[in-house]
Amino acid sequence: MTAWAFAQGASVDLTGRPRRLLLLTMALAGCAAAAAVSVISYNIDELGAGVDAVLVGWITLAYVLCGLLAWSRRPESRFGRLMVAAGFGPLLSRLSEVDEGLPQTVGVVCVLLPVVLFLHVFVAYPSGRLEGLLERVVIVAGYTSAIGFGLVGMMLGPSEWNSVIEVVSRPGAGDVMLDAGRIAVVAVALAALCLLAARARASGRALRRSLVRVCFALAVVTGALTVLSRLLDLPAAEPIKWIAFALIGLAPVLLLLGFLRAHLARSAVADLFVELRAEPAPADIQDALARALRDPSLTLVYWLPEFGGYADLDGREVDVRERGVGRAVTLIDRGGAHVAALLHDPALGDEPELLGAVTAAAGMALENGRLQAELRARLEELKGSRARIVDASQAERKRLERNLHDGAQQRLVALSLELDLLEEQLGPNTGASRRLDVLRRQVAVSLEELRELAGGLHPAVVTAHGLAVALEELAAHAPVPVRLTVTIEGRLPETLEVAAYYLVSESLANIGKHARASSATIDVTRHNGEVVVEVVDDGVGGADTERGSGLRGLADRVEALGGRLRVWSPRAGGTTVRAEIPCGL
Amino acid sequence: VIAEDSVLLREGVTRILGDAGIEVVGSCETAEDLLLKVRSYAPDVAIVDIRLPPTHTDEGLRAALEIRARHPGVAVLVLSQYVQVALAMKLLADSAEGVGYLLKDRIGNVKDFIGAVRRVEAGGTAIDPIIVSTLLDKRRSDDPLGALTPREREVLVLMAEGSSNQGIADKLVLTLRAVERYVSSIFTKLGLPSSGSESRRVHAVLLYLRS
Repeated sequence: MTAWAFAQGASVDLTGRPRRLLLLTMALAGCAAAAAVSVISYNIDELGAGVDAVLVGWITLAYVLCGLLAWSRRPESRFGRLMVAAGFGPLLSRLSEVDEGLPQTVGVVCVLLPVVLFLHVFVAYPSGRLEGLLERVVIVAGYTSAIGFGLVGMMLGPSEWNSVIEVVSRPGAGDVMLDAGRIAVVAVALAALCLLAARARASGRALRRSLVRVCFALAVVTGALTVLSRLLDLPAAEPIKWIAFALIGLAPVLLLLGFLRAHLARSAVADLFVELRAEPAPADIQDALARALRDPSLTLVYWLPEFGGYADLDGREVDVRERGVGRAVTLIDRGGAHVAALLHDPALGDEPELLGAVTAAAGMALENGRLQAELRARLEELKGSRARIVDASQAERKRLERNLHDGAQQRLVALSLELDLLEEQLGPNTGASRRLDVLRRQVAVSLEELRELAGGLHPAVVTAHGLAVALEELAAHAPVPVRLTVTIEGRLPETLEVAAYYLVSESLANIGKHARASSATIDVTRHNGEVVVEVVDDGVGGADTERGSGLRGLADRVEALGGRLRVWSPRAGGTTVRAEIPCGL
Repeated sequence: VIAEDSVLLREGVTRILGDAGIEVVGSCETAEDLLLKVRSYAPDVAIVDIRLPPTHTDEGLRAALEIRARHPGVAVLVLSQYVQVALAMKLLADSAEGVGYLLKDRIGNVKDFIGAVRRVEAGGTAIDPIIVSTLLDKRRSDDPLGALTPREREVLVLMAEGSSNQGIADKLVLTLRAVERYVSSIFTKLGLPSSGSESRRVHAVLLYLRS
């Protein structure tokens, strides 16, 4: 009795993970109940009381312990608590066999309660909740008729039992009420059987669940027969009862096995996470999901935003709303947008946590993959646009340089030629010839400036005569003695040559400005399909690679070509500027 | 023969050469045309712009090198808008005989330009002063050039540009003997053998300066 109240109270109060002390107390109460019910059953003066005692004791123990296990592992599910409650049912029922007024009254009132409790457990499997209205009606009807008829029957003082709540002594009517209760409970059991059968049809092929359901169904049938055997003189009533008890006792074992399987499934989810972290191919993702959910028929379909629909791995469109027979759909959405969907066995709906975890893992992996693909695409695009910008600016500078050379430069040279001829015609030392000489000098200065301007716009000599020729000139004009080594034969792509030229030019300018070096070396080599340009000085080092806009600009140029620019500049250790540019040759 | 793609300059050069009594037997715009004309006219000098159509890159230089290889009797004067030591040295790779490399701007100074054309024609050398000064300004770790006196330096510059001893003497207002003394002193200080013709001398000096 106290255990029953305890169980009820606990199930109301606790929604989180039950405390260990409570579980322990409940387990002990369960053991005590099992012992009590065995003792009571053993003392009944009936044939086979020993078998009865063992079976009923086992049932009590099995339900209470399995229920506690389920409760502690899955506190969010009501199923565990329901099983614990059901475990104490047989004790209440068997109190009817105690020849004392109060316990016998309680026992007789509750004599059918265990049947309804077990029905409740079976129907509520696996979530612990009664999902449909019909199920709720059936179970509520079961409890009402079991307790109601028992209560009314005992108030009327039935012939067979001591009742402490007898109001009027109408033994005949009391017996009828108790029998009516039995018939009502059998009817409820049959209704529950129909519900189970209907659910089994709708459900998938998971063997374990069908096994549990078959066990349930047989238990219900044999249980109903046992109840009926009290009314009708059925042959072989005892063996049927034992079969019923055995089946009822078997159910928690099957449930426990299923629970362990579900536990394994959770570790499968952990495996899935590890597997998906390695960026698998889409087909591998589908296989991994199928393994984790133990559903080989699972299909992964991807959401294609541009088509507004789902497609499978072969690219065939799949309408997820149009479910085939025995198929269920779980959508994988991230951030309010569709990502993919799983087409799977509807039986997986019985394990919502597993399905949820797998869906979440898959969603994360798919989203990751999509983001990475997008990132890569953007990076590629960025690289392309960077290269295009460098190309475009180079082309523009080249055009300007050509225009300066072909236009202004030639005209100025021709002009200075004319001035010279004019000066000769005028003869020396006239005022006009002196003025002409001044003009000629100005033209010469303009030409000089123009040449510098054109050279700054685009190193035409690089385009015309190659990197080696152009670098020699840079080395000749360098602020410190330079050892130049170019081991590349032939020409390289123009953008690459220009980038290398500017790299050397800027590095030499930096050496002149900051390095206080006494010498420098320039090496241009080809190595593993890359052109390596290295400028090394023996100066003071400590170059600031971040602030120098010149170096930054060089890095942009080099990176736009898919290369890398690195600068080593330890204090008092000289400076090394090294560019590695893929030359695609 | 003149190869120059700017009409203005081509006409200008033709005129100043004509005024100086040098006959221009042909002028053209492209390198191909130039080689054809050199072959048919066998001129004394070919004046070549380094940048010629179609790509305006190194057609002129390649044509000049080809003339040097195939027609050793034809002197070549290359006009360039780049001040490129490496290009000048390409031209001078084998010898300095009958070769000139001038910045285009030099045309503006008619007297010097005509002088260069005549020098090249006579088998001499004409190297642009900027090339020479670049070479002289080039920084070296152990510089024997520092051992030269300022006067010797002046002589060296003129020598490298291709001036003859007489030319140097005229420019620096020295006697021929004094110039010869300076020259041998320079060669000793730089550790060069002082034998051979003037163009060989230029070649040796330029190679030395470049190294």
